Amino acid sequence: MVAQNIAFGVMVGIMGLSAIRVVTTRNVVHAALYLMVVLATVAGLFLLLGAEFLGITQVLIYIGAVIVLFLFGIMLTGARIGKEKLLSHRNKVPALMIATVITAVSIYAAIDYFGADKLPEETRTSTKEVANSLFSQYIIPFEVASVLLLAALIGAIVIARREPHEENLTK
Amino acid sequence: MSQTEQLSYIAGQAADARLNLELETDGMVINLGPQHPATHGTLRLVARLEGEEVVEAEPIMGYMHRGYEKLAEVRTYLQVTALINRIDWLGSFANEVPFILGAEQLMEIEVPDRARWIRTLLFELSRIANISLFLGEMGLQLGAVTPAFFAFRDREFVLNQIEQVTGGRFHPNFDRIGGLKDDLPAGWIAETKSVMKRMRTFCDEIEDLLVGNEVFETRMRGIGVIPAEVGLSYGLSGANIRASGVDWDLRRDEPVGLVYDQLDWKVWTHPDGDSFARYWVRVQEVREATKMVEQILDGLPSGPIMAKVPRIIKVPKGEAYIQTENPLGAMGYYIISKGDLTPFRLKIRSASFNNISITPWLLKGTLVPDIITILGSLYFILGDIDR
Amino acid sequence: MIFAVDLLLRDSIGLVEVGIVLLKVGVAFVLLLLGVMLMIWFERKFISDMQNRIGPNLAGPFGIFQTLADGIKLFFKEDQVPAKADPLVFRLAPYLALVPAFLIFTVVPIGGDFSGGGDGTVTWWGRQTFLQVADPPIGFLIILAMSSMAVYGVLLAGWASGSKYPLFSAIRVSAQMVSYEVALGLSFASVLLMSKSFSTHDIVLSQGGYEWNLWMTGLVPFFIFLLAVTAEMNRPPFDLVEAEQELVGGFHTEYSSLRFALFYLAEFMNVITMSGVIVTLFLGGPEGPEPFPLPGWLWGIFWFCLKMVVFLAVFVWFRATLPRFRYDQLMNLGWKLLIPLSLVWFLALATLQVSDNRDWNDFIVLASIFGGFVLVGLLLKRALKTAAHNPDPDLSAPATAENNVEENAGRNTENNFDIENLKEKDLGGKN
Repeated sequence: MVAQNIAFGVMVGIMGLSAIRVVTTRNVVHAALYLMVVLATVAGLFLLLGAEFLGITQVLIYIGAVIVLFLFGIMLTGARIGKEKLLSHRNKVPALMIATVITAVSIYAAIDYFGADKLPEETRTSTKEVANSLFSQYIIPFEVASVLLLAALIGAIVIARREPHEENLTK
Repeated sequence: MSQTEQLSYIAGQAADARLNLELETDGMVINLGPQHPATHGTLRLVARLEGEEVVEAEPIMGYMHRGYEKLAEVRTYLQVTALINRIDWLGSFANEVPFILGAEQLMEIEVPDRARWIRTLLFELSRIANISLFLGEMGLQLGAVTPAFFAFRDREFVLNQIEQVTGGRFHPNFDRIGGLKDDLPAGWIAETKSVMKRMRTFCDEIEDLLVGNEVFETRMRGIGVIPAEVGLSYGLSGANIRASGVDWDLRRDEPVGLVYDQLDWKVWTHPDGDSFARYWVRVQEVREATKMVEQILDGLPSGPIMAKVPRIIKVPKGEAYIQTENPLGAMGYYIISKGDLTPFRLKIRSASFNNISITPWLLKGTLVPDIITILGSLYFILGDIDR
Repeated sequence: MIFAVDLLLRDSIGLVEVGIVLLKVGVAFVLLLLGVMLMIWFERKFISDMQNRIGPNLAGPFGIFQTLADGIKLFFKEDQVPAKADPLVFRLAPYLALVPAFLIFTVVPIGGDFSGGGDGTVTWWGRQTFLQVADPPIGFLIILAMSSMAVYGVLLAGWASGSKYPLFSAIRVSAQMVSYEVALGLSFASVLLMSKSFSTHDIVLSQGGYEWNLWMTGLVPFFIFLLAVTAEMNRPPFDLVEAEQELVGGFHTEYSSLRFALFYLAEFMNVITMSGVIVTLFLGGPEGPEPFPLPGWLWGIFWFCLKMVVFLAVFVWFRATLPRFRYDQLMNLGWKLLIPLSLVWFLALATLQVSDNRDWNDFIVLASIFGGFVLVGLLLKRALKTAAHNPDPDLSAPATAENNVEENAGRNTENNFDIENLKEKDLGGKN
């Protein structure tokens, strides 16, 4: 398990540094890129735990789609190269406090729940198992999530596709 | 620096500043050109965009202005043809014809029949050389590279024929006041006929490759629609206005000095007025021109190719305006002579200058890729815009 | 279910195993670079044949070293970073474009002993292994993930150049690639339905006996995949990203020297790896007849390369013949045709599978599938009609070339404007 521990340490280190840079960098695109690194290391941790499907899905969804759309949006609204003057860190003290509290709570919850439990040696989860649990045990959350996404989708379309006469009305 | 120069400099600066002021807003302003792959030449197009949509576009000309109108004033009539060859450099011979016709009108010279027929012949050959390149180039503008090479390949045959007669591929400088420099070489007629057959095959090929291509059609149909009245008000001419359904062809309507009235041909128009219509009309025009060339070759009268003209050409006092249907559209020369060796004033009405002037109206509200389609389908040649 | 881990790594791992893995990695790396070199030469030569040109013919026999010469030239060029660029991201972007192309190739089986119902293993130094760098159980998803990663190189290069045309390119590429990712994934899913495994090796195995996914999935996913892959690679006719007539050079306008070469390398590497993926997914990978005996794995490599070259030629052919799509037309094709079609096709295939398992009446199943197709088509048409701001029925049904000629010729005679009247009627009022 030494190799895994070293890999874990390296990845967590990268993740932590990148996560800090996400909020401290003064360029929006750089922030998105650091976020990408964070998500990539999360995927790496999944792989380390033997959850290959989850890891690769993380890459596929978050890195391959979500961040790309972030960047798309950022670029459409005119991301500047270099330091952004308008990016303020005015509320950094409350933000730091909230972040600390959340971190503390989740660490406490993890320790409280798992305690000194050790991971089994063979931790591989197959895609089949993931699929089976998704479509039997967790079918309701799964469907609820999809309905939520559908609602969001329709909402986005409604906002984006305003009819011409409505625009006139708002004027 | 003289005062006029200073004034013109200040005026230029002011014009630039005004333009900048007009275009300076939140949207993105892009400069297409003067060095941009799509503006084949040095046309500069300043376009203000909202996303990919063009809010405002303005062509800025003059990067290649050579001052031919002024230069012509210090050159004899014989020397002027060497200059005006370089206006529309793809169909050079066609540039010479209206100027020579104008001078002949002033001098009241009766040109021999054979010279008129050969003039018409070379005129149509330069039209084929010019427009066939456009037919391939349009594909290139839309990203299909191959048709352009086909066009270059087949145009070369036409240029060879022109070269055999005139000695120049691009700039023949062959037309003389009172006739032509030389007669046709031996064996040329049969060869030209086979080349015309080849050009018709080329037209078929182009129709296969581009006109019948779904992607090409979706890129061209309904893009850059010019209604007939708008086109006329901007002074469009040639295939651009015929594609808007206006049946106006100077070859048929004002056949001054050329023999179009003795040939059997047809003026093609298209009612749609979009980019596709402009392309389609030009394909038909090349076909029609090949047929005309064949008819001319069959009906060529014999006789001299040069009228009796004085050795030193002095054009009598007077004014003449002659325009012909050049490959790019109506091209006219307004010659004012004071009876000297040189024209007193020469005003050149070139087709592309007017054709391109519609772009601010036409480009409003289009997408960036459509700029390319529209500029390509309007078919201008920079030399013809800037002179 | 047994995990389809490479046989090599199933037992204890010693020096020989590590050596074999390193050898495979090295060979794949060299092969890919060599392949890119030949591919660029092939494309230039093939396309110049189509265009009545000679193409490269000076460097080496038939100009085969042209790419090498170009590479060396670019290597010694001055390396420029524009003053307005974001230096870090500008330098990073070419590598982000290159690496995914490499990674996809690692899961593509380029050969293997499939003769006589073999399972594609070869024996080297007493170890059994597959002829692919790695065979993870999620190989299929790696292809998808990496092809979606490929967008970063172009996206960031375009933004970091600090110039307008590249920025356009970046905005276009992000929308284009994310959209076509969906169609790609859905046509992928049809393959998955047939092969029932994520492992690329198992996908090849499941197509044994010429039961290639090409016809097992009914051709449609194959064509959707081909189109989506072309769009993913930004190859013509979907090369809006580097449309030189519109965007000068697109995302690599500001790039020079080695970084430009890397982009070039990445583009052609993508062509090769994606052709390999198509062969793997739809054409049975290295499977093929063996006319005379050779070591079994050699035949596999031969057939794989042959099939791949076919697709390479297809991509070059696309480039030589087709005009470029417009941005909105590209989006329409992706969202309104490819995605619904691949989704419906996927559902139909799933229904067929279930009915096969449950022994349902074939006729009823087929009829209901057909009914479903019609229903979905009508719904979609209705939805598009409602959504369209300016419905334009003409564009959706382009007429054929012959019709046009007749139609236009007919219109020609009757619709000619009378220029004199127009001048009086319309111009007078306007001026």
